[in-house]
Amino acid sequence: MSQLKTAVTGTQKTRRRRFFSARDKVTLGFFIGVPTFLHIALVWFPAIATIMLSFTYWTGIRLEDIQWAGLANYENIFFNSPIFWDALRVNTIWLLWFFVIATPLGVLLAYQIDRQIRGHQFYQSAYYLPVVLSLAVTGIIWNFLLRPDGFVNGLLGLPIAEAISFFGDDRYNIWVIMIMASWRHIGYIMLLYLAGLKAVDASLREAASIDGATEWQTFLKVILGAMRPVNIIILVITIIESLRAFDMVYIIYGSSGGLPILGVLVYNNIAGEGASMKGAAYAVILFLLSIVPIIAYLNQQFKEDNN
Amino acid sequence: MLNKIAGHEVDRRLLLKGAAAGGLGIAGATMLAGCAPSAAGPLSFGARTVDESPTKQLQGLVAAYTAKTGNEVAYNATESNAFQNNLSQYLQGTPDDCFQWMAGFRMQFFADQGLLVDLSDVWNEIGDQYNESYKIASTGSDGKQYFVPQSWYPWGLHFRKSMMAEIGLTPESINNWDDFMAALGELKGQGLIGLASADKGGWEAMGTFDILNARLNGYQFHVDLLAGREKWTDDRVKEVFRHWEMLLPYMNTNVLDLEWDGAMQLLLQKQAGFFFNGSWFGANFLEQSQEDYDDLWIVPWPEMNPDHGRDTIDAPIDGFCVAKNGANNAGGKDLAKFAGDMEGVQAMLDTGIPMTSANKGQDTSTYDAFQLQQLAVMNEAKYITQFLDRDTRPDFAGPIIGPAFQSWFKDPSSTNSILESLQSQWDALPALS
Repeated sequence: MSQLKTAVTGTQKTRRRRFFSARDKVTLGFFIGVPTFLHIALVWFPAIATIMLSFTYWTGIRLEDIQWAGLANYENIFFNSPIFWDALRVNTIWLLWFFVIATPLGVLLAYQIDRQIRGHQFYQSAYYLPVVLSLAVTGIIWNFLLRPDGFVNGLLGLPIAEAISFFGDDRYNIWVIMIMASWRHIGYIMLLYLAGLKAVDASLREAASIDGATEWQTFLKVILGAMRPVNIIILVITIIESLRAFDMVYIIYGSSGGLPILGVLVYNNIAGEGASMKGAAYAVILFLLSIVPIIAYLNQQFKEDNN
Repeated sequence: MLNKIAGHEVDRRLLLKGAAAGGLGIAGATMLAGCAPSAAGPLSFGARTVDESPTKQLQGLVAAYTAKTGNEVAYNATESNAFQNNLSQYLQGTPDDCFQWMAGFRMQFFADQGLLVDLSDVWNEIGDQYNESYKIASTGSDGKQYFVPQSWYPWGLHFRKSMMAEIGLTPESINNWDDFMAALGELKGQGLIGLASADKGGWEAMGTFDILNARLNGYQFHVDLLAGREKWTDDRVKEVFRHWEMLLPYMNTNVLDLEWDGAMQLLLQKQAGFFFNGSWFGANFLEQSQEDYDDLWIVPWPEMNPDHGRDTIDAPIDGFCVAKNGANNAGGKDLAKFAGDMEGVQAMLDTGIPMTSANKGQDTSTYDAFQLQQLAVMNEAKYITQFLDRDTRPDFAGPIIGPAFQSWFKDPSSTNSILESLQSQWDALPALS
């Protein structure tokens, strides 16, 4: 031990630009090593194992039962499972809805609140309130309200048989779910955007108004540009939130296919007695769907930045 | 420890002898335990229900076991869907020693995976209290028993006697499809729902499929179809859906928004005339009031094809298994044996919760009128099936048939494409190892 110490001081003498003592190294190694190990063990290992398992047949019980399946699970999903396309449709509508309606609404609210319109504190807390609830709780609350023997149908005086089929009727169940999801998403985006707006230099706005820009022009050409980093975060969140949707739908429909979404299909095919690695294949598809557009977008953004 | 032995220079041969003796001792102990499972020590019981009535019943069983043997039993309850979804993980982890499960394919699957304890010796002791059909339902694909039956219930047409009397219908005289359609028409004319239906959970409608298929095409075709020996694209299956479609106008329109208990409410609140379901929900009626329970009645689904009459019925058997990964296998077996023995059955009956036990020893003279009627409905059938999701592969029933039936409800005109898709999804399943 003492030998090590002298060796360390020796190198310290010869090399002046030395920052870390042996003790620092151990500490750093520990602080980097442990999280890295945990990250690899808990994130990368399951992720890579899932990708590998998606090319196999397996009931998830005995390791020796794993059989190579090649692309069969994927083939099965793409060509044999109509529910996959139904789910993809729902997820796409979800994404578009968030993209076109919920997220812009959140941005608009944030902008209004930032402009300190009358009663802005009330609006701010009212819209933020749903964000503190988990999506599962959101699902439970809305389920109480809208199910056949729920509050709304009760208020309308409709018996179960004539109750409005908020969750069962394909004509509007998806929009009911969209409103439920937006209820929380809008507040979330609002908060993120508000934090960004607070950081925008007030002199930018001043300069714009001196140049005679209207409010709308200022927002579009000045503020939005200054908010680039926040915009990227919001875009990524919007994509991820709409593709990873699971909890709210699961609370309402369980693992049955009442309103098929990809997240529930993953679960439905990998949990329980019906476990098959089709679930792993669904998970990989979902992963690719989430990550590819994000990488493409970020890539393009960074390219623009470099220019 | 090793050092110590080396230090004392233990003779290797002596050590081996000791090991052999120890091994024999252990083997002897297990043999003894096998012969007379007076298993001791605390054990745990896993219930797959959190509902009021069955919980009371099972807690009565567990309490009686503890009172008899002095063995402490921890009672763990899980909601039934969650329990089912997690069963694989549960059995591979640290499961309860004895747990509540279902007979047939669903038990065989886990027995094949080596996750259940062989209960053949339990059957040697209590087997004479059961009919052969229960033993068959408790037997795994290797010919050993892995299951102890608790109770059964028939799937049939339920209705309220008072309501039918008021309308002037006599469901007991509904013998064939035409009678049934006429009765449904009469109910509709009264502004009522003919047949309360649900399929939000994805499994409820499977019962209707089972009975339509068995009535139209017979037991053998039904069993062969579920085993993959017949095709879903067969015209006979299309016939099933054609008849099902004839029922749709008499059903509530929000089938996909109701789970089984929602449809049961329709019957309870007298909004619907008939409810096709397993009779287990009688306990829910009793929770409401004795009057509601006494008003409940069941008849078999009407005949649809004279060749098959009313010869088949879905009558699922619930019961108990012992988990191999449990901490106390001997204890689990002992509890399963107690539950299957008349003594345990009596403890469950003593709770006052209606139960049609699988045990021959339950004196049918103690049955109430509704239970006697269930027995009559059951006895009329020559063939007994479990239920669609207990009679076919689990990776087919839940993830594939469930959503297919739901999408059929959304668009009944798509029968052909749904059936083609079902067949191609069956064909794409990996061979069972």
